[in-house]
Amino acid sequence: MEEKLTQRSVWEKISNKLSKRSLWMLHYCTGCGAIELPPTMTARFDMERFGISPMVTPRQADILLITGYLSVKTLKRVVLTYEQMQAPKYVVGFGSCTINGGMYWNSYSTMKCLDQYLPVETYIAGCMPRPEAIIASFNDLIAKIDRGEANSWKDYYKNYDFYKANQDRTFEGPIETYNDIKADAAMFNIK
Amino acid sequence: MSKIDEVRDYELFIGPNHPGIEGNFSLKLKLLGDKIVGAKTDAGYLHRGFEKLMEERLFIQNIAIVCRICVPDPDPNENNYSRAIEEIAGIEVPERAKWIRTLVLELSRLASHLFAIGGHAATTGLYAFPNWTIADRDRILELFEELTGGRVYHIYQLPGGVRRDFPDGFEGRVLDVMDYIESRLQDYDDLAINNALFIKRATGIGVLTKEQAVSWGVTGPNLRACGVAADVRKDDPYEIYEKLEFDIPTMTDGDAYARMIVRRKEIEQSISIVRQIIDKIPSGLVWNKIPNPLKWNVAAGDAYVRTESSKGEYAYYMVSDGGRKPYRVHVRGASTTHAVHVLENLLVGTRIEDASQVMFSLDGCPPAVDR
Amino acid sequence: MEYELENSIIDKMQPEFPEAAFTIKKARRVEVKMSSDKLYNFAVRMQKKWNFLHLSAISCVDWLQDNEFELIYHFWNYDEKVLVMAKIRIPREEESHFETISNLWQPAKFFERDIHEMFGVYFDGSEDMERFILTEWHGPPPMRKDFITREYALNFFHYREYDPEWLKDMTAAGEANE
Repeated sequence: MEEKLTQRSVWEKISNKLSKRSLWMLHYCTGCGAIELPPTMTARFDMERFGISPMVTPRQADILLITGYLSVKTLKRVVLTYEQMQAPKYVVGFGSCTINGGMYWNSYSTMKCLDQYLPVETYIAGCMPRPEAIIASFNDLIAKIDRGEANSWKDYYKNYDFYKANQDRTFEGPIETYNDIKADAAMFNIK
Repeated sequence: MSKIDEVRDYELFIGPNHPGIEGNFSLKLKLLGDKIVGAKTDAGYLHRGFEKLMEERLFIQNIAIVCRICVPDPDPNENNYSRAIEEIAGIEVPERAKWIRTLVLELSRLASHLFAIGGHAATTGLYAFPNWTIADRDRILELFEELTGGRVYHIYQLPGGVRRDFPDGFEGRVLDVMDYIESRLQDYDDLAINNALFIKRATGIGVLTKEQAVSWGVTGPNLRACGVAADVRKDDPYEIYEKLEFDIPTMTDGDAYARMIVRRKEIEQSISIVRQIIDKIPSGLVWNKIPNPLKWNVAAGDAYVRTESSKGEYAYYMVSDGGRKPYRVHVRGASTTHAVHVLENLLVGTRIEDASQVMFSLDGCPPAVDR
Repeated sequence: MEYELENSIIDKMQPEFPEAAFTIKKARRVEVKMSSDKLYNFAVRMQKKWNFLHLSAISCVDWLQDNEFELIYHFWNYDEKVLVMAKIRIPREEESHFETISNLWQPAKFFERDIHEMFGVYFDGSEDMERFILTEWHGPPPMRKDFITREYALNFFHYREYDPEWLKDMTAAGEANE
């Protein structure tokens, strides 16, 4: 009985199989890494081969690609954007500056660890990572979804207090969000 | 009075999360119907505090971060920074290094212009065009990768010269890429620049008169599209631009279409400059030894150096107090005028569908505004 | 004669501003130091009389030891192709004040606004002195020399623990060099 709970249901398996081949990446250039996205999206590297395509609206997007450093001002918008996205949703941290500050480790303006504010599915190291690295990480993500292991988004509902506390500390006060995360967590039956 | 009349103007936020915005930038528009009656820009999303970071690092360490100030066209930053130190410390640069630097600057201009014209055409719905130009730009990035080791950021020019000489057979490959891009120009014309749809969309949009352009501090291709033949490469020559022959293409209309044409013509000029450099480049050293950079106290002094980047005048003001770290570096990004008040002024009177075209035609660079 | 053009520029300007100290830094770069109350008149003459139509930049330098801010105005002449750097010093206070030249040059608006939020120098008479880049910043003006970004960042942000064996020697060497 207990084994069954940890396993995926047939429906979840089917849903994972289908969703891994149609991922929409939110079209948001948060930092300098965005310069490597046009080559990735257009003719030369063409990420549409893998079923990934840019999407303009957060509500219809699956992947939030954080392209590099986030200034505190952008981080606020990114958090609001992330909360608008529909689950399941995957955050990809792109570049060294999302991992531990990178070049901007002593900057007063940029955040240092992305996973303090949002649950991160994969990181791409480098400054800046090449288009091949972006595609490789997307392939990893696809494989992870297929195995049913890409569940970091549940972490945001589970540990919302942790993320919220970090956000509030960095923004020096609570921000106005339009999403009731606690209610969403109850809907997904995540505690 | 009916309900409709009461609702007169309304505000619309465009960006930062919007595909019609160049980079991470935001516009607050005031609209009457679909006509823009007021515009305010909101920058700072890309602020990293470069000027402060530079004050806390050694002169040599800063080479690695200055290129990140303007992402699509990073080399003018390295060039400005290196030349500022050279001017303050009185370092001579070998002749060959100057030629190589000019080559890198021109390749960077080509890459940036290909990016800019592709992005501009995409705002009118011609999505095939960026697919071509960005794929062609990748060939230049490959040249950069071969020469410097980096596709986007090169960290190549440093005080006293450049980091390394050409690899074997590099000149030939540069010429091959130039031939290829030149052969593509006709295709570009057919697909976008002479496209009836593009002409119709871009003509008469965002018109700048000559007087406005000068008094609003417009520089670079945007100024030349208004009929002012001003170019830092000619007016305030640096590196070896005095020894090269090239024209400054100008247009007189000052609208989005004229800016496109000027960039398109500058691509030809840059190709010609690159060919001249490969043809005439002297042999010799590429780097004059500088003192141990970890213990290097640069003499006290200040310098204002200017470069013509693909987006306009790019300038650095550097002050040294005789220490190991720069006392102050002020970065005058090329887009500090274009992406802020020029854009605000030009948006008024255009329609909402042309807002992003005006922005892309000015080729603003938000990271250079925010620093 | 060397620096013919630069000397002719100085000869033109010196009679009207006898106290100002002109120096030629190199070809096409003329530096002028003057007292701060002369700057506005100088700027008006630069634009209206001597045809310096392009304001390239306004830079600010914080001289903490002298307790002064230095403002440097970079003017460019499209015809004669000379850059004149006008340098003035103003006292450094909690919020220093200086007069605007944004009624003469549009680009000055951006630079003055930038200096206001980065250094805390208020430009009287400018129509827009609101924050632009640092709208969500709660600290002091960050470009002032007494603000240490390293200390602020280390206190304010969370860092990941990262201290591998191979990095220790390099870290020690770097700290010894500080």
